[in-house]
Amino acid sequence: MTVLLETRNVSKSYGVFRALEQVTMAVHEGEVVSVVGPNGAGKTTLVNLLTGLLDPTAGEVLFMGESIAGVGPVALADHGLARAFQLIQIFPQLTVRETISAAVVSRQKKRWQFFADLSADAGINARVAEVADIFGLGPRLEAVGASLSQGEKKLLDVASAFALDPQVILLDEPTSGVSTSDKHRIMKTLIAAAKRAGVKAIVLVEHDMDLVAAYSHRIIALSEGRVLADLPPARFFADSHLIETVIGRRGGH
Amino acid sequence: MKAPLVVAAVVTTVFALLPYFVPPYYIGLMIPFFGYAIALLGFNLLFGYTGLLSFGHAMFLGIGAYGAAVMTGLGVKSFELVLIAVILASAVIALPIGLLCVRYIGIFFGMLTLAFGMLFHSFLFKFYYVTGGDSGMRVARMNILGLEFAKYNKIEFLTGPFYYYCLGLLVIGALIMWRIVHSPFGLHLRTIRDNARKAEYLGVHVRHFRLAAFVISAAFGAVGGAILGFRVGLADPDLVYWTQSGQLVFMAVLGGFANFFGPIVGSLSYILLQDQLQSFTEYWRFALGAILATIVIAFPQGIAGLALQFKRLVAGRSA
Amino acid sequence: MSAFANILAGGVFHAAVLFLVAAGLQLVFGVQKIVNLACGSFYALGAYFGITFIGYAAQFGMSPWLILPGLIVSGVLLGFIGPPIERLLRTIYSRDESFQLLLTFALVLMFQDVFKFIWGANPRSLDSAYLVYGTIGAGDFSMPVYNLLVILAAIAIACGLGAFLQRTNYGRILRATAENRVMAEALGVDVRRIYSAVFTAGAVLGTTAGALVVPTSAASLDMAIEFVVEAFAVVVIGGLGSMRGALIGATIVGLIRALSIVFFPEFEVIAIYVIVIGVLIFRPAGLFGRTLA
Repeated sequence: MTVLLETRNVSKSYGVFRALEQVTMAVHEGEVVSVVGPNGAGKTTLVNLLTGLLDPTAGEVLFMGESIAGVGPVALADHGLARAFQLIQIFPQLTVRETISAAVVSRQKKRWQFFADLSADAGINARVAEVADIFGLGPRLEAVGASLSQGEKKLLDVASAFALDPQVILLDEPTSGVSTSDKHRIMKTLIAAAKRAGVKAIVLVEHDMDLVAAYSHRIIALSEGRVLADLPPARFFADSHLIETVIGRRGGH
Repeated sequence: MKAPLVVAAVVTTVFALLPYFVPPYYIGLMIPFFGYAIALLGFNLLFGYTGLLSFGHAMFLGIGAYGAAVMTGLGVKSFELVLIAVILASAVIALPIGLLCVRYIGIFFGMLTLAFGMLFHSFLFKFYYVTGGDSGMRVARMNILGLEFAKYNKIEFLTGPFYYYCLGLLVIGALIMWRIVHSPFGLHLRTIRDNARKAEYLGVHVRHFRLAAFVISAAFGAVGGAILGFRVGLADPDLVYWTQSGQLVFMAVLGGFANFFGPIVGSLSYILLQDQLQSFTEYWRFALGAILATIVIAFPQGIAGLALQFKRLVAGRSA
Repeated sequence: MSAFANILAGGVFHAAVLFLVAAGLQLVFGVQKIVNLACGSFYALGAYFGITFIGYAAQFGMSPWLILPGLIVSGVLLGFIGPPIERLLRTIYSRDESFQLLLTFALVLMFQDVFKFIWGANPRSLDSAYLVYGTIGAGDFSMPVYNLLVILAAIAIACGLGAFLQRTNYGRILRATAENRVMAEALGVDVRRIYSAVFTAGAVLGTTAGALVVPTSAASLDMAIEFVVEAFAVVVIGGLGSMRGALIGATIVGLIRALSIVFFPEFEVIAIYVIVIGVLIFRPAGLFGRTLA
């Protein structure tokens, strides 16, 4: 299987504090990889490294074989890596259509078109309708960001990331703030959407072990900046010691 | 989306017919309106659409006016050449300044632009042997579209051919700005305004685009300044003082900066308001200040915003 | 040499006055996050009112020795404008920061005509009664004692403010509110009263500075809008929100002005802007400001 996104012996220190120590991990085509661990374990740092926001103190971060260390969000999007955040980020004054269009404009490299009429661009509009449909936002296309419900905002946040046609998408606690009964539905929608959108791999940062167990191909557990385990769910949840370190209590699910 | 174009066509026609119905005094007032309106179209690209409030924008008005004066000194007779020259000059000057300023947002952007504006102002004073210092630089009457209109005296020229010329410039400027704002580029500008961080993750080149908006707004400002300088016959350092930049912001807010036509409505309202207030009282600044305060507190959407609300109300409660 | 010393002394006096206004700006920005374009207007108000106040006082037979305290009193008296203006500004706290600039700009416009209305369009000045304090000097160098007293007063106020902010309970509360308003509120701090008090203090610093300056320069309509640029230069150089920054920034600006008069007379004003731009580029937080988000 092709390796899409990987780190090799990556370390990150902030002065004396070592956030990550010799972390090696890889995401392969077709995988959903979950990153778990208690707070302070280094998940955020790892994610920031994986998405080019930080420069590693040592080691490499590679996407499709090319280094993406510290490239920044804009270049990231151009490379084919997208990220959706835990805290919802939307454009309050822009409609759903405009939000998704912004991503499509980047993807179709139309950003420097000063005089083209955006609303008349069939290529953009078709793609926007497509992405909106995948996420069930079709009927809300003309709604303004600020008027959406929390759930819709979340979907839009993720939908706009998908509209970039990324090869790999990184979802940062995508179901946080969503009611428990909805969590599975949302996860299924996201994964199905990813497949339809042609996304080749998903990296998931999650606290909810139910979701992690149900949807991951592999689970990477971090603790105090190191990789504690890199296992498929079956083997992961069979190890009660592991579970205790990661979740902090005995017994699995 | 067709409705605005209809409205614009109607308004343009009204303006075209204005000289037949309205005394020359008010027609004369329209020239600065055209100048400010064009400058504000540019300013609002930066403020209303990209979210950057510049407190030094009068600097580009100055480049337009002083550019026209320099061209006068060089014996240039064609106003079109002046326009081209000031557009280029303002773009060239805006590029390095913009590069520095767009790294910052909010108050810091405002202060940095204010500092640059005042720096330009001090240059105008220090190099008084070129710029005439306090007395300013003369802007001569020029040919428009190659025609001299020698038979018209200055007033007739300004309220006649030049009036229509400037109306034409405004229409052209508005068409250009309309296209820009409704383009993919314009969309990206608005994402930057709403949430620059998220915009980055959607592949928006935030700094490059802020710079582009800055340069475009500078060019529009210069065209406006050239018209202003031409009308008065003088390029004056007062045009560049920070309070003039404040006046530009005032006009934008008065008209409503979240709206395409806001700046145009704002500059017309301001010009008329100032004129009427000045004939009532010598304390017109106080009145204007009070009006600005009222708008900021109670009607931040400005006149155009209010008109839109009113229209929605009248049209019924359809979503 | 003594001409140089004279100019330098003038620079320090100017810096003292700048410090007072800047301290007011920093206090207001630090606690309320408001940038007040009308600071120059407060300064001018202090100047105009100071002249009127001393004029009346002299008519009632006040001794010229009391000019310094008299001017300080006149500055403090003007503090009454603080609360109503703060109440006005309160309406836009929750909005985008552009609106603050706009609202305070509206105040600038209004103040201009208030000055014109009350005091007329021509500059006003105090006679040279302040020279009653005498001058101090050595050889060709001489400086009015009044100027020295103002400088000393500014230093005293600087130390006092510093001690107040660092050592007293109220000062701690102010600093806490500046750091995190929501937390402070949750801990029972009456933020509205604090805002009102802080803004008034800032206003008083501005008006008093204006009052103190009138023996040596005239009060004019231009004062309000010209001063804003310098005050901002001080705040930017020193760093937004920092008292130490106000002190250092004021000293730098005051001395730069003085030095450029001596060495680069052509570039006196330009030098300040260049430094402001330089600071904003290389150290946007200013010398002592907190780093930007």
